[in-house]
Amino acid sequence: MNLTLPRFFWSEYRKRRKKAALITFALFWGTLSILLLMAFGQGMTTQFQVAFSGFGQTLIMVYGGQTSLPFEGLPKGRPISLYPEDVDYLKDRVPEILRIAPESYNFLQVSANGKEINRTVHGTTAEFGLMRTQVPQMGGRFLNADDAAEGRKVAFIGWKVAADLFGSADPVGKPIVIDRIPFTVIGVLQKKIQDSMYNGPDAEQVHLPFHAYQQIDNRRRINQIHIQPREASQSKIIEARVRTLLGRKYRFDPEDRYATSFWNTIEDAKQGQAIFKGIEIFLGIIGALTLLIGAVGVTNLMYAVAKERTKEIGIKLAIGARRRDIIQQFFLETVFVFAKGTFWGFITAFNVVHLIRLAPINYDSFGIDAYLLRPEFSLQIFVAYTAILGVLCFLSGIFPALRASRANPIESLRYE
Amino acid sequence: MIELQGITKVYRTGSQSLEALRGISVKIGKGEFISIMGPSGSGKSTLMNIIGCLDTPTAGEYLLGSDKVAGLTFDQLAAVRNRKIGFVFQNFNLLPYATAWENIELPMLFDGKNGRRRRERVTELLNAVGLYEWRGHRPSELSGGQQQRIALARALANDPPILLADEPTGNLDSKSGEEIMAILTDLWRAGRTIVMVTHNDHIAAHSERTIRLFDGQVVA
Repeated sequence: MNLTLPRFFWSEYRKRRKKAALITFALFWGTLSILLLMAFGQGMTTQFQVAFSGFGQTLIMVYGGQTSLPFEGLPKGRPISLYPEDVDYLKDRVPEILRIAPESYNFLQVSANGKEINRTVHGTTAEFGLMRTQVPQMGGRFLNADDAAEGRKVAFIGWKVAADLFGSADPVGKPIVIDRIPFTVIGVLQKKIQDSMYNGPDAEQVHLPFHAYQQIDNRRRINQIHIQPREASQSKIIEARVRTLLGRKYRFDPEDRYATSFWNTIEDAKQGQAIFKGIEIFLGIIGALTLLIGAVGVTNLMYAVAKERTKEIGIKLAIGARRRDIIQQFFLETVFVFAKGTFWGFITAFNVVHLIRLAPINYDSFGIDAYLLRPEFSLQIFVAYTAILGVLCFLSGIFPALRASRANPIESLRYE
Repeated sequence: MIELQGITKVYRTGSQSLEALRGISVKIGKGEFISIMGPSGSGKSTLMNIIGCLDTPTAGEYLLGSDKVAGLTFDQLAAVRNRKIGFVFQNFNLLPYATAWENIELPMLFDGKNGRRRRERVTELLNAVGLYEWRGHRPSELSGGQQQRIALARALANDPPILLADEPTGNLDSKSGEEIMAILTDLWRAGRTIVMVTHNDHIAAHSERTIRLFDGQVVA
């Protein structure tokens, strides 16, 4: 390998180290900014997905309502309620449904260990746990099919309920009394971040097998039905089919938007992801603009270098340098200045992200920390960063290099 | 070897124009040693620059060997300067941050010669100018005479058939000047074509023929 040209470059570069220091810092700062901003943007998008999946995975919730249109001789204004048998009715008729579960709830007194609190208590089935991300802590479990089949009086409780009633002790296997009926705790919800909810976060809920719940709350109608499609793309089809089937069963116009209502989290997730992707891109642009300031500095430096080296360029042209030899020389220097600044920016950004990720998230009060404390790098970020850096490096180097390469040999030789 | 026909060079600055060369026709045969003389502003350097392919004429034709120089691109002219012409300047024009070795090596780097060939040739040239021991020194660490010898070695790096020397002894003491002229004379005797610009009749006496310029024209 021929090291003469790099050696020439290094001898020249050393003379300008002090001048280049500020520009190196600008590139360092630009790289740090762009990488951190993109890492925060990516982290927030991921945390949004995590928080959203904390509520549920590709979930559609169906609620009853009140008719707003007359239908087949029936007046408008009739209340439409959902009942436990609607679950099987819909599952048998809508092949796109993967999972389905009923849910009823009420605000009830919950006591254990000599402590008494009021919490929302839910009655549901095992499938609810899979759909609503009810992941148990070690040593426990969520409700299962046998609980329903055998009419077990068991309860799955949120981690805040566990803390409120049992402190730091393990509640699994211990008794809990709900509205004067004793239950056994079979599991405690693992800590999670959750940005969507009804009746408060899952940390503060108590879940019972549906039939056991009905012994406390004897209302026939249920609050809602949870549906998980086989494919997320089928959510709109499912909505239409459910509305048609329920309309046929309860005799309302399938076009009546108020007879039943839907909470389609799949559509919400799409919108949320689009917003966070927008934030991510916006942050990336701000970072790129910061890096641009460094790149402008490099361009100025390289123009100054080209002027300083006019004589040298003249000598080289006189002894046979081609335009590309001069361009190569300037590019090499531009790449070096860029590489030096961006390398340290890269290392610093990597370490800053690593350190921030070590900070714990407060699961008890879901807040901004859950979004900000989990910045992350991805291949996408590195590809975007490399592309932006490549373009800026090229643009910073090309114009001074072209100007230098177009120098007039005679005028350059005369330059002092 | 070198044939200039009706060469004119006009420099324009704004509305003003200056005719530096006025229809000059010169023939220089292979292996000749020519000196170009004339007062300041007579067009010596302009003529030298055109012969050296550093500049192009406004009018006229320049044949270098069988090549019409007017039709060559920037990079083709660079190749001519690299392989066919060696330059020796009055103020040496060595790269200040490069060693004697590196300065001599540079034209070969531009020519794409491999490392072994470069090493052999640089060694040969440094020995020929008697400065092998000084190969690791930068120009600022060398005397004027030594710098001009390095510049001469650099001019010969790609073994060009033509050497152009612009006042090669102008910045040297008489002893160093004589040494340089001795080397140039040896090179001419070895078959190289040498074109030298000088103010000094004593230096010009080393050449076979003198072209005298005045006011952009050949007067003798």
